[in-house]
Amino acid sequence: MKFVFFHLMPYPYLPDDFDEKYPSPSLTFPNKHFDRELGNRLYHRYLDELEYAERLGFDGIAVNEHHQSAYGLMPSPNIMAAALARRTEQAQIMVLGNAIGIRGNPLRVAEEIAMLDHLTDGRVISGFVRGIGWEYFAHSVNPTRSRDRFNEAHDLIIKAWTSDEMFQWISPNYEYRYVNLWPRPVQRPHPPIYIPGAGSTETMRFVAERKYTYMSVYAPSRVVRRWFDGYRQAAEELGYQPDPEKIALSIPIFLAETDEQAHREARQHVDWLFHKGLKQGAELMWPPGYMTPSSMRGLLMAGMKPFPELSYEELLAEGYVVVGSPDSVTARLQELHDELGFGQLIGLFAIGDMTHEQTTRSMELFASQVMPALRPLAVSDSAAALS
Amino acid sequence: MTNVANDRHATTATGGPIQEYLDFPDGQVNLLRGGSGEPVLFLHAAGGAGHWHEFHELLARQFEVFAPDHPGFGGSDELPEVEDMSDLVYHYLDVIERLGLDRPHVVGASFGGWIAAELAVAAPHAIGSLVLLSAAGLRLPDHPVADLFLMTPEQLVGTLFHDPANAAGLFPADPDVDAILAAYRDQTALARFCWSPFMCNPKLERRLRRITAPTQVVWPSDDRLIPIAHGHRYAELISKAEFTVIEDCGHAMYFERPAEFASVTADFLARSSAYQSGVSR
Repeated sequence: MKFVFFHLMPYPYLPDDFDEKYPSPSLTFPNKHFDRELGNRLYHRYLDELEYAERLGFDGIAVNEHHQSAYGLMPSPNIMAAALARRTEQAQIMVLGNAIGIRGNPLRVAEEIAMLDHLTDGRVISGFVRGIGWEYFAHSVNPTRSRDRFNEAHDLIIKAWTSDEMFQWISPNYEYRYVNLWPRPVQRPHPPIYIPGAGSTETMRFVAERKYTYMSVYAPSRVVRRWFDGYRQAAEELGYQPDPEKIALSIPIFLAETDEQAHREARQHVDWLFHKGLKQGAELMWPPGYMTPSSMRGLLMAGMKPFPELSYEELLAEGYVVVGSPDSVTARLQELHDELGFGQLIGLFAIGDMTHEQTTRSMELFASQVMPALRPLAVSDSAAALS
Repeated sequence: MTNVANDRHATTATGGPIQEYLDFPDGQVNLLRGGSGEPVLFLHAAGGAGHWHEFHELLARQFEVFAPDHPGFGGSDELPEVEDMSDLVYHYLDVIERLGLDRPHVVGASFGGWIAAELAVAAPHAIGSLVLLSAAGLRLPDHPVADLFLMTPEQLVGTLFHDPANAAGLFPADPDVDAILAAYRDQTALARFCWSPFMCNPKLERRLRRITAPTQVVWPSDDRLIPIAHGHRYAELISKAEFTVIEDCGHAMYFERPAEFASVTADFLARSSAYQSGVSR
């Protein structure tokens, strides 16, 4: 099992009347609520936590991209990765990911990731995401073009990284007459790619065809099971079995010394994440054309409750989050592993408005007691043969 | 997401509409037609595709009304080659030709009003007369169009109707999956043409002087989606334009005040066809 420490960098200081007054912390939540001094300290605290994760033995430390939101404070994940690059030595620096669906100039992403690959001496992982619905409002990008833009940008970036010759790129959404990337990345043929999936069969196929890593997003385990099975099936149809490490469960995790203490502390912060951070109506999540008709039908038929309507107990029971003592968390993750089959665990440890002390203690308990127990799970044959 | 109910086709003095498909290289267009008289090409708004409503029927008492669904709306296929407004203009020139219409009256509401104005700019001599009902299309930074894509269904009803009670039946409280998907499809078709630049063609304003057709600009007094300043601007820049305000009515005027809307339209069309027959028809 491979372990990743993932940060969202939320802005936790919401006003008392947030629940009544604002439909979401994203897009239209007024930026006057961003306190410059508190925000400044948050960036340094959060980067400290990411660096600390490496010292605790996490294999990867991960950042992501969100815009105009208190849910996550990283409009540019590549800047955060750059801040980590020369402060770390071992861990993979994972950008999960660049929202190439909303980038005006995706060639810039190819350039920045190639630079990061040099700054990290080949430790960078490049995730690609479409961007959440509200971000198509925020950056004025037509959501009906989202999939095409994502696919075209992806193909352009891969070709830019791997081509030894200058080329021209012409596709419906992008035209470049001269693509000639300086620098080329360190890793050959290019940094590993991670792609999140949320049930789209097109995405499963896309990821399986390229042998990329397929990541889950917040969902109940019964739904994640369908996604992972879909990915495995797509791979099987292509005639191979995916390496366990290529399937990654992303999940918020909190540990304290005892179950009782863990739940007592976690409830408020898990509620913050799902009831405030993820408060967003259908119009923010799925602007027109963002979903294909078949994905939209699948989503409506899946009957998942909106995040703010899920109680703490439901979130635990359905496998959205894992909370408990080291023993309980180990047992629960083992159980999820057996149910879902994954070889990589991407944990969100700084949940909502959790303090730095709670976060680091939870990380320490995880690293010292859970990691050693789960480490032997889901090791690929090739990796086992090497060790 | 909006949810316009599948109200039955309005029943009818004219025997009701005829439904047919027009074939295009990458799909079909759904068309409803009814009535007799001079031809009226009716271009629907963001809502209302695929159905023969009361206002269609009222117009059909005096005119032959042709009501196609825009590509991707209602019963029309997506027609992927129709990507933006300039493609839509060519599309409707094709529709006019396909239907064999000679200088039809063109009546457009909201998004359809924008298409109508573009059509009259691009091909002034292909249009008999023009009626613009709360037309989108202009960019007036001091009078922005409200962002309907960001509205909840409740907010949308409150924005579109002067009296939200008039929306009862059009927006069911608890739509089924198919109704939600149909509404999402219409919104997707709209967003394709309207997301950015938002609900406008920045070049349209300076091109309006090309319009030669007699034009009636109709605006509801209480339009919370497209401010009435847009109507004044249209009326000011189109050379032969009249301007009519419908009192106590919201943006969705053809749902909220169908009789009044139909009579303003029909009266104007009757007058302008008399005018035209005396001049250059």
